[in-house]
Amino acid sequence: MAESDNDSGGAQNAGNSGNLSELSPREQDRFLPIANVSRIMKKALPANAKISKDAKETVQECVSEFISFITGEASDKCQREKRKTINGDDLLWAMTTLGFEEYVEPLKIYLQRFREMEGEKTVAARDSSKDSASASSYHQGHVYGSPAYHHQVPGPTYPAPGRPR
Amino acid sequence: MFTKQMISSEIPMLMSKACEIFIQELTFRAWMHAEKNNKSIVQPCDVAKVIMQTDTMNFLTEIIPNNLGDFSVFDAKEENIANIAEENEVSLSFTAGFMGNPMMKMDSEENAGNIVEGNQATLPYTSGFMGNPMNMMNMDNVRMK
Repeated sequence: MAESDNDSGGAQNAGNSGNLSELSPREQDRFLPIANVSRIMKKALPANAKISKDAKETVQECVSEFISFITGEASDKCQREKRKTINGDDLLWAMTTLGFEEYVEPLKIYLQRFREMEGEKTVAARDSSKDSASASSYHQGHVYGSPAYHHQVPGPTYPAPGRPR
Repeated sequence: MFTKQMISSEIPMLMSKACEIFIQELTFRAWMHAEKNNKSIVQPCDVAKVIMQTDTMNFLTEIIPNNLGDFSVFDAKEENIANIAEENEVSLSFTAGFMGNPMMKMDSEENAGNIVEGNQATLPYTSGFMGNPMNMMNMDNVRMK
C-alpha cells in the first residue's frame, strides 16, 4: 500500500508537472494565491500566533501538491473505469484511499448543504419566470441577501485539526 | 498522452473545501510544533517537521528540502532528516528492514524514535546534546545517514 502510494505519487508529479508547464510557464500560476492561503492559515490559529512569510509559501506549495495528489488519484480511477467525467464520489474515494478519510464526512455534509441551497436557487429561478414580481423579489432576497444564507455557508464544522498523534 | 477528462460541477466546490481543511490541519500542527519549542512564529521547518511526522503527509516530502534551504545553519542536518523520511516512508518498514541485524535494529529504532518524537527540533536538540552524551550518539547516527 505504501509503495503503491509512492509510485502513484511519482507518476502524478511527472504528469502534472508536464501538463502545467505546457499550459502556463508562469510561476505564480502553479500555486494557489498566497493571500487566500494565508487567510485560511490564520483561521486555524489563535490571534497571538504569527506565521512567517516563508511558512506561508511552504504551505502554499503543499496545498497545491495536495490538489494534484488527490485529483490525480481520482483521475486514474476514472480512466480505469473508462469514464470521462470525474465526479464528487471519485474525489471522496481518492481521499479515503490516500489517507484523508477524516475529510470525507465533513465534505459530504458540506456537499449536502450545497445541493440544498442549489435547490433553493432553482425554486427562486422558477418563481422569477412567473409574473408575480413581489414573490420573485421575496425569494431572491431570502436566498441571496438574508443572514440565513451567509450563516449556512460556513455551516459544516470540520474536525479539529489538532488530532494528537 | 492525456485523454480529455471533464469534472462535474461539484468538484471545484469540494476541492476548495478540502484544501481549506488541509491548510488548517497542516497549519495547526505546525503551530503546535512551534509552541512546543517556545517559538512564537511558525517557520517552514515547523511545517517540515509535521510533514515528516505525519504519515498522510508523506506525499509532500519531495517539496521540503528546497524550502529548508532558508535555514543554512541547519541545512545539512535537515536534509539528512528529510532523506531519512523519504527512504523510510513508514517507521515500521524502517525497523522491519533491519530485523536481521540486532545492532542495526537498535540504530534504526533510535532514529525512528528521534523522528517520531521530534527530537530534531532546533533548540531542544542542541540543549539535549550539550547535557547528554547519549544524544551525541544519536546525532552521529543522523549524520551517518
